[in-house]
Amino acid sequence: MANTWGYGAMTNSMNDIQNSKAIIIFGANPAVNHPVGFQHLLKAKERNNAQLIVIDPRFTKTAAKADYYAQIRPGTDIPFMYGMLNIIFKNGWEDKEFIDARVYGMEDIRAEAAKWTPEVVADVTGVSVEKLIQITTVYAKNRPGTLIWAMGLTQHTIGTSNTRMAPILQLALGNMGKAGGGTNILRGHDNVQGATDMGCLSDSLPGYYGLAEGSWKYFAKSWGVDFEYLEKQFKDKSWMSKNGFTLARWWAGVEGVKNDEAIDNAGTHLKALVVLGNGITSIAQQAKVKEALDHLDLIVLADPFVNEAAVLTDKKDNVFLLPAATQFETSGLVVATNRSAQWRYKVVEPLYESKPDQEIMFELAKRLGFYDLYVKGMMMEETKDGKLQMIPGKTTFIWPEDACNEIARIVKTIGLTGWTAERVKKHTDNWHMFDELTLEGTGPMKGEYYGLPWPCWTKTHSGSPNLYDTSKPVSMGGMGFRNNFGLEKDGVNLLAEKSVTVIGSKIQGGHAEITKDNIEKVLGITLSEEEKAMMGANWKVDNSNLIVQKCMEAGIAPYGNAKARAIVWNFPDKIPMHREPLHSPRPDLATKYPAYADKANHFRVMTKYISVQSAKDYSKEFPVNLVTGRLVNLNGAGVENRASKYLTALTPEMFISFNPDLGASLGVKNGDMVWVHSPEGTKIKVKAKYSHSVAPNMAFMPFHFAGHFQGEDRTANFPAGTKPYANGESANTVTNYGYDIITQIPETKGGLCRIEKA
Amino acid sequence: MDYARMKFYCDEHRCIECDGCSVACAEAHELPVGISRRKVVTINEGIEGKEFSTSIACMHCTDAPCEQVCPVDCFYIREDGIVLHDKDKCIGCGYCLYACPFGAPQFPRDGAFGAKGAMDKCTMCAGGPLETNSKHERELYGQNRIAEGKVPVCAAMCSTKALLVGDAESIANIYRTRVSARGHGTVGVPYGWDKAYTK
Repeated sequence: MANTWGYGAMTNSMNDIQNSKAIIIFGANPAVNHPVGFQHLLKAKERNNAQLIVIDPRFTKTAAKADYYAQIRPGTDIPFMYGMLNIIFKNGWEDKEFIDARVYGMEDIRAEAAKWTPEVVADVTGVSVEKLIQITTVYAKNRPGTLIWAMGLTQHTIGTSNTRMAPILQLALGNMGKAGGGTNILRGHDNVQGATDMGCLSDSLPGYYGLAEGSWKYFAKSWGVDFEYLEKQFKDKSWMSKNGFTLARWWAGVEGVKNDEAIDNAGTHLKALVVLGNGITSIAQQAKVKEALDHLDLIVLADPFVNEAAVLTDKKDNVFLLPAATQFETSGLVVATNRSAQWRYKVVEPLYESKPDQEIMFELAKRLGFYDLYVKGMMMEETKDGKLQMIPGKTTFIWPEDACNEIARIVKTIGLTGWTAERVKKHTDNWHMFDELTLEGTGPMKGEYYGLPWPCWTKTHSGSPNLYDTSKPVSMGGMGFRNNFGLEKDGVNLLAEKSVTVIGSKIQGGHAEITKDNIEKVLGITLSEEEKAMMGANWKVDNSNLIVQKCMEAGIAPYGNAKARAIVWNFPDKIPMHREPLHSPRPDLATKYPAYADKANHFRVMTKYISVQSAKDYSKEFPVNLVTGRLVNLNGAGVENRASKYLTALTPEMFISFNPDLGASLGVKNGDMVWVHSPEGTKIKVKAKYSHSVAPNMAFMPFHFAGHFQGEDRTANFPAGTKPYANGESANTVTNYGYDIITQIPETKGGLCRIEKA
Repeated sequence: MDYARMKFYCDEHRCIECDGCSVACAEAHELPVGISRRKVVTINEGIEGKEFSTSIACMHCTDAPCEQVCPVDCFYIREDGIVLHDKDKCIGCGYCLYACPFGAPQFPRDGAFGAKGAMDKCTMCAGGPLETNSKHERELYGQNRIAEGKVPVCAAMCSTKALLVGDAESIANIYRTRVSARGHGTVGVPYGWDKAYTK
């Protein structure tokens, strides 16, 4: 996404889906995972007679509300979308004007799509020729159409390619940058967008700044900390710009874990694990996670409920459970799936001895001796000349307002400048003054969109409800695609063509992102010496925000106006290519569409692709396709929900659901206990649950259970009084090995298993 | 002017079986696990073109059959149509369960030899015959949200606004608007209404 057009976030909003004429969903089940937001899809059906199309291996609750449903084989979304493009190009349904003016590299897509005739697609995806043609026709003829996805698209070895393919389909149909269109990626948890924006990842500083030296220097300056001090915290300088381990594969870095995959971690191993509110029992390869937990020197788990990592491990000493407060016992800014901010007020003081997360981190910083530096940024401000200073007279900070203001002050990349605590609170307090459909404010909130969806360029900016919409002035959230990949590639222009002018822009057509060096030329202005002195090198690191201000005056987005790119020349697949899952039920296709070469030092650990895929024909021993997902009453690793008797009563036991036809061939009755075996040699004992929603060669498991491990009940490890009402095997004990080539997200949505009666 | 007649309506085009209504009901009234004043039912699960879900509780019928068969006459119908009963009179005989077309009456399942005890059912969040909002009323019948001017908790919680409750005319208006907006189907009678509200 970010590599296609600039930002890797939902482009429109749940509300805007009500403007769609067609809605196509790949690998998402909003009726279960976003039940409240799903009403916007239902309303689109009522308001617009919107055609709801669901592409999913399972006939989900969302599919039950669909006008068209295709039961796709897991991991074959790219062939399906190329098949759609094949039909679109053949019939001339593509938006030629849009493609010519705003897209780079669509010719390569056209060439690849030509290979994916409906017949080839039917063989690979399992969806009939007729159904593919029907769905493509409906989606192409009902515009604007929005494309929705979630983890069903991302959790594959080719997840990154999947998330490029979907935007390409939208670009071909000209569905981008308009109300009712867009790629509406649904975030799966409260404030995930905010967590991502703040860089809770091992490959970036907050705000997607990356780990380059220039980014570190910008943050050092903005935090009032010496760059050299930060540098000294690393083994040597080179490690500052290297990716860390990921949540998916940190276990490989622990000494003693049986693993033939080389790590590159400065010659040492991971010794301690601190978890703040993450259900690590919902991550693939639980057997490896357990092994790693057992071998760590120190485990600290901060959670309102017992993090089940503590139950999974055999480690007896140096395992600490810190009682963290819930979201009701703290306040602050949270970010919704559509990039909008909302203030959350504290409902009650933290109960008993629990502490909010920030208190835990402050205490840790105090013990480690860097507390003053840690909180310093909250007491700083920019001076008029672009320098930074301590706010005169300020000796202490107010949480979380000052943290919010620090974020607004520093994070320019995604335009958080306008997100001051005061403004966000005002929006939340005046929620009723905003239109449900357009998010536009009325009365005192006129001229602003609810929650100031980023980019919100200045302290008076409206917020941007739909990304890349050139029909609105920049001051009201308009913009072209971001110029982030250079001005040209091999002599081909990467900027938007002349016809793509953002309404009200001083510049006709495309332009480069704005830097101190090009601002005078691009905007046709002359800076005073004083302005030059205060201005940062480019719009992203300009503490004075003068570049953005000048851009607003000229009616342009500081990040430029460029083409989206269908070709990502720095990725292993320059255009999205189909590659079979590592454990494919179709070994013939695995030969034809092989996995990537193994990748050394992928987030510090050797990660296997082709060597796993080509090792053997797994489909003989493990004939059943396995996908995992959520239940409506449970969430994440599930420990907090399973502590509610009413939620637990709806699904009191861990289960595996499969078609009665498969049950009959296995000799397993509804309600029997079964063993589910994985190609990694792990197994879990769960209850069989018949369901017609799963195809006869497939099985589905929820991932919300824990407490049992490979047949063993470990719930005696819960401290007295903390055991949830329901416990069971974690599906992730048997989800298969496999990780995305770019992000390393695990391939939980397309593995294999064998089911045997227990 | 007619006194407002309260009705339930669940739009099966909108109900997604999230169980928000049933869990909210159980939490609000602190029901024992196993007592389902409200249930979400899915028909033809997993069958393309045939699956639908709906939320069912006591429909607070006109000429309620439960009231007609009760041997101890523990039922009473409020002016607004809400059907309530007196747990202190109820002998737990179960006749009402046989008469009810919706399976609404619930009986405690524990106790020796499956002894039934007083029946429990949806009160449309309107409590019972005891003093309004008293501790005693709350213990026996749960919250009395109607007396507080609040929407029954199930409809308030409904994630897609499939489940509606209110006076007959308002409900009928919303129903008609949705059906005509969808541009297909006819404005017929909502599911369950033929049994609950024809008389």
